[in-house]
Amino acid sequence: MTLLTTEEYTALAAGLDLSTNAYIDGGYRPAISGKTFETVNPATGEKLADIAACGVEDVDFAVAKAREAFDDGRWSRMHPSARKDILIRFCKLLTRNARELAVMESIDSGKTILDCETVDIPETIHCIKWHAEAIDKIYDQVAPASDDHIAMIVREPIGVVGLVLPWNFPLLMLAWKIGPALAAGCSVVVKPAMETSLTALRVAELATEAGLPRGVLNVVPGGGADVGEPIGRHMDIDMVSFTGSTATGKRFLTYAAESNAKEVVLEMGGKNPCVVLDDAENLDLVAQHVVNGAFWNMGENCSAVSRLIVHKDIKDALLDRIKDHAKHWNIGNPLDPEIRVGALVSAAHFNKVCGYLDGAPTPVIGGKSHDSAFVEPTIFEVDATDKRATDEIFGPVLSVITVDSFDQAISIANDTDYGLCASIFTANTKRAIRGARMLRAGTVTINSFGEGDIATPFGGYKQSGFGGRDNSIHAHDQYTQLKTIWIDLADDMDEAVD
Amino acid sequence: MTPIFKFEGIYTPVVTPFHEDRSINFEALADVVENLIDKGVHGLISGGSTGENYAMTVAERIEVAKFTYDQTKRRVPLIIGTGAMLTADSMALAMAGKDMGAEALLVATPPYAVPTERENALNALAIDKAADLPIMLYNYPGRMGVNMGEEFLDRVGRSRNFCAIKESSGDINRVHLLARDYPHIQMSCGMDDQALEFFAWGARSWVCGGSNFLPEEHVALYNACAVEGDFDKGRRIMSAMMPLMRVLEQGGKFVQTIKYGVTHAGINTGAIRPPLKGLNKDDKRALEQVVRVLKSTIAQIQAEG
Repeated sequence: MTLLTTEEYTALAAGLDLSTNAYIDGGYRPAISGKTFETVNPATGEKLADIAACGVEDVDFAVAKAREAFDDGRWSRMHPSARKDILIRFCKLLTRNARELAVMESIDSGKTILDCETVDIPETIHCIKWHAEAIDKIYDQVAPASDDHIAMIVREPIGVVGLVLPWNFPLLMLAWKIGPALAAGCSVVVKPAMETSLTALRVAELATEAGLPRGVLNVVPGGGADVGEPIGRHMDIDMVSFTGSTATGKRFLTYAAESNAKEVVLEMGGKNPCVVLDDAENLDLVAQHVVNGAFWNMGENCSAVSRLIVHKDIKDALLDRIKDHAKHWNIGNPLDPEIRVGALVSAAHFNKVCGYLDGAPTPVIGGKSHDSAFVEPTIFEVDATDKRATDEIFGPVLSVITVDSFDQAISIANDTDYGLCASIFTANTKRAIRGARMLRAGTVTINSFGEGDIATPFGGYKQSGFGGRDNSIHAHDQYTQLKTIWIDLADDMDEAVD
Repeated sequence: MTPIFKFEGIYTPVVTPFHEDRSINFEALADVVENLIDKGVHGLISGGSTGENYAMTVAERIEVAKFTYDQTKRRVPLIIGTGAMLTADSMALAMAGKDMGAEALLVATPPYAVPTERENALNALAIDKAADLPIMLYNYPGRMGVNMGEEFLDRVGRSRNFCAIKESSGDINRVHLLARDYPHIQMSCGMDDQALEFFAWGARSWVCGGSNFLPEEHVALYNACAVEGDFDKGRRIMSAMMPLMRVLEQGGKFVQTIKYGVTHAGINTGAIRPPLKGLNKDDKRALEQVVRVLKSTIAQIQAEG
């Protein structure tokens, strides 16, 4: 991927044809109420578009169309290889429109064009392609049974699925959910985050162009109370997959309990520890991982490294290296391909993050903000109970906690309501494995920061989520039901009742 | 549904009166407009096919539209017809409509080209972009050769200006499709002999050429069905109107019949522009007979309350 210049990206941004209406039943439609909400470029504060502000009646309409599509089998009962072909064609269209989507994503979310071009868009396509390729390679099972019986265990698509997305990876999280849900044969109603609706709307149009039957993929933009809650409470939605804050995720459990007991899969917050023991090798590499983990995507990442738990003997040496690496994380215009730290997603979120800079101890680096959008990569040394060490800040803020033993490091690492990701750096294999097992998190990386990849499940322990996993074949499973089909082969009545 | 513009009531596609030399008779046009407003129609359309747009230059159409707009003095909304062979002409008409202050546009399929649904949608979106006004689509496959099908409707939904459709296909399945699958697009009756069916499926407006000379009777049907919800009464009025519908929709001389109807009612609309010719004596007599019976029957139904 050859990157363009800032001027070229700016010109592309100015020429974008933005989709602003909801996407229901294969086409764009304004909200039934006629209401709209404004979406702005967080880096500049400029208005980008008025987006359809959907409400309960739009959700009802979208669900009705999704249900119609599911029940008549136009997608759910299509031959698996035909479903695969359409999704592969969809990926080709995404690839053909990758640059447009990258620019749209950047101006809508404040993410850097560098990340959009090199991470978000390629990963989005890769994710959908992976699930598409899996469609006709997943076999059902035949269970052991007597000679007089056949016991089949088959997967069936779960039905109509509500997908509620966060604003930090608008396209990638869309892919994480629609990839397996569509592959499984479900019909989906997507609620993108209000801050970042643009790319989801465009992607839905591309899916239709690829041949996805109408009604299978619907995108309903709007607020949490107007769209999210109606999805959560809808009597005809079979399952909700939610990624976002822990507080909102918990509300979906209430909605499910108070409606049709729909299945709920939650991917929520994180306060992810990075444990660096005194025998960690190559501190330069460790520092690179820590800085990348902490400041990538402006720290607006549920799997971000937000707590560095470091042994006292190597703390100073590591911090020196971290400071060196952090210098390369320059901040500014997200459409400048040299920039690595863009704008926070909204003024409201900027203010929330800045709240953690006020009254803080003297930062190791950073600590400044400007233009109601940009926060410098910031590092504080704090004790384990400081709110900067306990709250999910969701910004480029790293809290450093000093420890003097392996056990203390693990104990502090686990002393949190969250359990999404963790990492441990040590040259001692036994301690590495022992630590990985002791760390209460869905993904633990050793001597690196990461989330695994599309082939490995992603999800959290404790209040970081439950109910299923994104990515991997396990993601596919969460959008299916298991059914037992029991066949009696007995010839006569006496045998049949055995 | 809260669209950006609500089309409610009788929208008359205004005829264009000509002198005998076929130049535009603005005085008669002023009389037609005044009469329609006086008789209670809810909106006017300038430059529809009933106004013989196909036989006029873009400059003439803009002149007529501007004259009509000034004459209405904003007492009723004016929709500007933009139907034309050339996209550029449609855009020019749309921009002129915006400049003069018209409330909405009527956007049709360009005739003769037989565009694909995608091409037709891009054409409509280009016209929309030129003016950014509320739009009533005009689906008339009988004259344009193609339908504004689902792909077209799905694509034009990119812009919320597309908030209504005048459905003139005559295909009742289209009414069902629009009512059920496109509730965000207000359905307007564009097939006069199916007005009752349109109202039954929730249409709130009727673009009816016949209202040029029978405005009160068309308003009566609208009131019975859309305002009072009295479909028994509506059916009786519609039944009384059916002979007229036969003449209009099934007679093959739509514009000529309407222009003569206006002339017969007292405002001389003059000649018809080529290639069409005026009605012959027999046709005129048949229309006069139909109008006479229709008016007295509907007056009687109305008198019953």
